[in-house]
Amino acid sequence: MRKLAVTSLGMAAIALGTIAIAALAVRDAHSATLIVPPDPSTKGTQALVNSACSKCHGQYGVSISPLFPILAGQLPGYIEAELKLFRLRGRSDPRGRAFMWGIARGLTDEQIKGVAQYFSSQPAVKGSGTSNPALAGKGKAMYENGAPDRDIEACTVCHGHSGEGVNTQPRLAGQHRDYVSTEMFLYRNGLRENKVMQHVTEKMTDDEIAAVVDYVSTL
Amino acid sequence: MLAAQPARAIPPFARQTGLACEACHTMPPELTAFGRRFKLSGYTLTTRPPLVNDIDDHKKDTLWLTDLPGIAVLAQMGYDHYDRAPPDTGQPYPAHAQSDTLQFPDQFSLVYAGAVSDKVGAWLQLTYNGQAGSVGIDNIDIRYSDHTSDNKWVWGVTANNYLTFQDVWNGIGSYTVPNFNTVTLSSGGVGGTGTSGPILNALGPGSVAGIGAYAFYNDSLYFELSAYHSAVAGGNSPTIDSVSLAANGGAVDRFAPYARIAYERDWGYHSAEIGASALYVNWIPSVGYISRQQQAAASLAGNTYTPGQTFNPGAINRYTDLSVDWQYQYNGQYNIFSFLGHVTHERQQNSDQLVAASFTGASSPIYTNPTDTLTQFLVTGEYFRNRRYGGLVSFTRTTGTYDPLANGGNGSPANQYETFELDYVPWLNVRFILQYDAYQVVANNQSPFNLSNANFPNSPGFPNVKASDNNTWVVGLWMDF
Repeated sequence: MRKLAVTSLGMAAIALGTIAIAALAVRDAHSATLIVPPDPSTKGTQALVNSACSKCHGQYGVSISPLFPILAGQLPGYIEAELKLFRLRGRSDPRGRAFMWGIARGLTDEQIKGVAQYFSSQPAVKGSGTSNPALAGKGKAMYENGAPDRDIEACTVCHGHSGEGVNTQPRLAGQHRDYVSTEMFLYRNGLRENKVMQHVTEKMTDDEIAAVVDYVSTL
Repeated sequence: MLAAQPARAIPPFARQTGLACEACHTMPPELTAFGRRFKLSGYTLTTRPPLVNDIDDHKKDTLWLTDLPGIAVLAQMGYDHYDRAPPDTGQPYPAHAQSDTLQFPDQFSLVYAGAVSDKVGAWLQLTYNGQAGSVGIDNIDIRYSDHTSDNKWVWGVTANNYLTFQDVWNGIGSYTVPNFNTVTLSSGGVGGTGTSGPILNALGPGSVAGIGAYAFYNDSLYFELSAYHSAVAGGNSPTIDSVSLAANGGAVDRFAPYARIAYERDWGYHSAEIGASALYVNWIPSVGYISRQQQAAASLAGNTYTPGQTFNPGAINRYTDLSVDWQYQYNGQYNIFSFLGHVTHERQQNSDQLVAASFTGASSPIYTNPTDTLTQFLVTGEYFRNRRYGGLVSFTRTTGTYDPLANGGNGSPANQYETFELDYVPWLNVRFILQYDAYQVVANNQSPFNLSNANFPNSPGFPNVKASDNNTWVVGLWMDF
């Protein structure tokens, strides 16, 4: 009788232990596999776009306010990289904190991939153009050649000749002019972390930044 | 009636969405385009997984509870200094009261707000009102919301206890800017009821409840139809009767329909809205009225009537409020600017039983005119730099027909005043306010120190009363967490 009780206790302990380990394993594996909607981490791409992304970036990735970047036609690698950075809180520019830290915190890798695919496959838009061709011309020279004497690399190296972007370096063509400008100054002040961009923008004058921004708006 | 209290940005929404205040507010309580969509979606957007979740056989949610109850504390303190000390309420002139008042707190609220399920959200507010010295139910808004798969149509149902609380623009209604008001003499705190307004602004917590359906098309066109019924708080009778009428200043008879339409256009950093609304109310006013029929019946039975309004036979005034409102917002990288306001025109058809010319009662008539009108114009400009320093200027003017019996004094319901405000916002949830309210006209074209003011029975002899006696400096603190 006593032996049976001990055995029962042992069995119960093993069972409990198994459940506990299983629970931990499941938790570590990723909550997304177990929880059903409306857990945001199980939302499909379209539902996520509808309920969250589209509110600022537009249903098709063309945001209205320059506070938010246009994502239509953006490179999937860049969107993915940035979303993962936001999730890690590794990108800490003021608007990134205010908006994207929260939005990205529960996203799974699959969701990030899905959203990146969705926005990159939306038709890209054209830039707003310039009203000051002379300024844009100056910016074009800077964009294409940089300033080797001051150790400023050409933008084309990372962003392509027509601002189309390369891998995880973002597409600039068609982006809100004000957004590009704001980000340049954030890089310079170290509020948005990126060694290359900080290096470049630190060496540029305000006028040069304005010229490059103007040129980018024509792409 | 418990005065409707302002409600503002609240941390539970930030905790639920993971978004900072600026996502939904230019400067609380004013909403951004995103904030409007969040509210219309029933406060349901979340980035947190549920703590408790249950589903049925079709994988449909049957329970969805967040790990964080959406509780917030809203606290508002105010120090008011009046340009002139009010008369003493118990002693004759030259006795007078202190010229300042400290409200600590002026208002203290507990709010639950956030998603209840994936399609239902709620805002439930309990408020201690320093002026009333009591705790009561404040704003309630419970929403169900859904949208089409292409997101073109967002639609929903709202049940709320404050007409216009459900609105998402700030040119009109309970969220109009300026929003920080403490005890001003003219608004009824210490003195009279100097700043009369349309009934549209008066159907608040403790007096009505309503249900409405709305649709928002393509992020631009908004339609809403609602109906409000009297829902009197604190009455000790099971249904509304003369006691609750007297306690609450009147009641809505049957249902008051309300229709709202608005058009919004967003471009660049800009957002502009123009809207219109219509309200029709059958209102049973609480007035000192006895009909001859009542008196006859009472004297037959050997009873006496106390002057007061009853339901049957009841005198009903019919209000029609038509409003146009607008809002322009510039929500830029560093600068925020808003220009908003409304014009409301009210037509008040007074019950024949209460109007002097056709008065049939045994007591005294209540209104001079069969029809009174009231027009309120409010315009506000607000500016903030870096969401830290800012201020606003607001102008309110109300004009209307002269009705000496209804309004006392010279009969005018007019009032006109400006609010000047400077704000310092060291943290987004802590705001210091310096406000000056300047009055040119208050009701009856007199100040609350006027001779007929029941609050100041001993004020005869109080010399040289004028509207600007009400001018008030306000130092305020608002915080939430």
